[in-house]
This record gives sequence, C-alpha cells and structure tokens, in this order.
Amino acid sequence: MKKISIDPITRLEGHGKIEIFLNDAGDVENVYFQVPELRGFEKFCEGRPVEEIPRIVTRVCGV
Amino acid sequence: MAKLKLAIYWAAGCGGCDVAILDTNEGLLKIAEIADIVLWPVATDHKYEEIEKMADGAIDICLINGGVRNSENEHMTKLLRAKSKIVVAMGACAHQGGIPGLANLFTKETVLNRAYRETPSTENPDGILPVQRFSAQEGELIIPEFYNTVLPTAAVVDVDYFMPGCPPAIHQVAAVVDIIAKGDLPPKGAVIGASDKTLCDECTRPKEDRKVKKFYRPHEIIFDNQKCFLDQGIICLGPATRGGCGNRCTVKSNMPCRGCYGPAPKVHDQGTKFLSALASVIDSNDPAEINSIVSQIADPVGTFYRFGLAASYLRRKRSNEKN
Repeated sequence: MKKISIDPITRLEGHGKIEIFLNDAGDVENVYFQVPELRGFEKFCEGRPVEEIPRIVTRVCGV
Repeated sequence: MAKLKLAIYWAAGCGGCDVAILDTNEGLLKIAEIADIVLWPVATDHKYEEIEKMADGAIDICLINGGVRNSENEHMTKLLRAKSKIVVAMGACAHQGGIPGLANLFTKETVLNRAYRETPSTENPDGILPVQRFSAQEGELIIPEFYNTVLPTAAVVDVDYFMPGCPPAIHQVAAVVDIIAKGDLPPKGAVIGASDKTLCDECTRPKEDRKVKKFYRPHEIIFDNQKCFLDQGIICLGPATRGGCGNRCTVKSNMPCRGCYGPAPKVHDQGTKFLSALASVIDSNDPAEINSIVSQIADPVGTFYRFGLAASYLRRKRSNEKN
C-alpha cells in the first residue's frame, strides 16, 4: 500500500497533516486527517480570574 | 543585492505573529522586494520535506513564533536552526513560552485528561487519549509526542535575536523588516522590535506614586480612566515589562498591562521584578497587614507570569515526569 503525506497542511491557522493510503490499483483506500497539536487551554484557563479569560482565550487563534 | 531566503514558522503559537506580519499591509511588498519566502505555513504551500533537503545555513533569516510544546515543535525548531544563518524568536511564545506556557502549572496527564475526557462538550465514553503511534488498517500513523513542559525557543536552540510581544506591534514588525533590509542588525542576543525602557516609562497615564491598602479586581472599583492603574490598586505589569508596544493596552485600550513584551531591560525574571515593584506600592509596614493586602491579588502566578512562566525561574509546577 502506498502512502502520500501532506505535511503540513498550509494556509490555515494551526497544524495539520493528511495521510492518504492508496491500494495496489492506485485508488484511495483511506485518508486520515491528523491534528498534531494541543496547547491545553481547556486546563490552564482553570484558576485564572474570570475577567482575565478574554485576554487569554484570544490566543487560541490569532488568525 | 541578492534576495534573502526567509522562513517564517509557527510552533506552539496561535498564528497571531504571522498575522502581525500580514498586518504590515504594504510592508509585505518590502518583504517581497528583499526576500524570497521558503517556508510560511499560514501563507504559502511549502512542505517540511523541502526544508529537510536544504543545505545547512541555506536560509538567511528564520522568524520562529511559538514555543516548544511537543516533539514536532522541537524537531522543526532545531531543523530551522540548522538551516538558518539567523534565527529570530518572534513573539511572546518563542521569546518566553507565552500563554501556552501557563500549562506548566499543570502536568501533561491533567492537560490531556481535561481536553479529551472531562470537558462538558467532550463525548469520549471509552476515555481514549491521543497516542503517538497508531496502527491503522492501512498502515502506521504517527503524531508528535506531547511534552510535560512548555519551553521557549532558546531552551532548545541558539537564538540570535528576540522580538517580543503578543503579538509584536505592527510598527515594530515594520521596523524589524527595515533593519533586516538594511543589514543593520544589532549584536547577537539583542532584543529587537522593542524599546530599552519599561512600559511604565512610556505610559502617559499620570503617575503619582501613591501607596495602596487594597488591590482591586475590575468589578470592585470604578477607576479613573486617566490615571496610573497601580496608583489605584489595580494590578498592571508596566513596571516589570519592556516597552515598545506603543502602550496599546494601558493608553489605547484603558486596560492594565499583562506583560506580553517580556521582562524589562536588564531583568531576567519578570514576576520577581514585579513583586519588587509591588512591595514599594503597599501602604503598610505591618507584616500581618501586608499579608492581608497581598492576599487580595487574584492569581498572582497566572498574572505576574502571564506570558513568561516557561522562561522564568519558576518554569513549571513541580512534577516527577521527565520533560
């Protein structure tokens, strides 16, 4: 089985890659979209004062 | 003059630094005039493979934004260091770890559990967490290793210049492009695209150096929109922070500084510098009263080290996990 990797996916915010598996006939057998990043806002916003949250989560995506 | 080869990369960032470059508007024409872009994921379609194939030092200047959060960030940062003559750590995340560095108050395990198992919007009945290697029916899939600790760029590679800000102010991005165009870069290790004063020095809000008996959160006070925040008992990181941003929070937005431009000149640790500034603001000599005044400050670590925890003396909460 042949694999085509598109790494990184470009012209969008964030990190992503796509792996395309081709079967012996050269047709697409399966495609996997992967997000190889996590920063953990879900966790580190805990404990921050609520009035500070707008100044923190604006850094989820700056695009 | 031959055109420069320019790479712009994002590691554990948010793309805000890339947009700060785009926001120079016609300044982009100047970049296009002096440089050929060889990598810029937000705007061009170059692949990592192309960088791997380059000779060492083939890239003239590389602007890296985003700190090191996982093994891919580390690999790309090291790869770009090897391929580049000059590396600039651009933005608060590359400079100091930035907002993502606040995750150093937790462990890798608690971050992953929260994100993939516990949040109310997550449906994951089997409690599956991301794995680095996954054997799919068609072949193996590999994602980067998520680290326990966020690191600034300089913790993994030699950095030539630091360009602070979250994001760097547009006029400062333009100024840095100018010095690159003129080949007028300062000595290695310098902070560029910023000033050599503190944010306080550049702030136009009148400061009376008043002492305070109470620190306020926004809902506890109707504050004077013109006067110094600290004079009014509102936490503002101005005394500990490098200037050059144009006072976009304190003056232009009527918001106290949170320190995104990093430690003031000649200061290594922004939080301890701020503690020292804070000590001189408190109106008491009685230890018990001082204790009660400082205990009013909500979330000291997340405020004094909002952008700089990963590069600070504290670095992270104690943890037995390696990296």
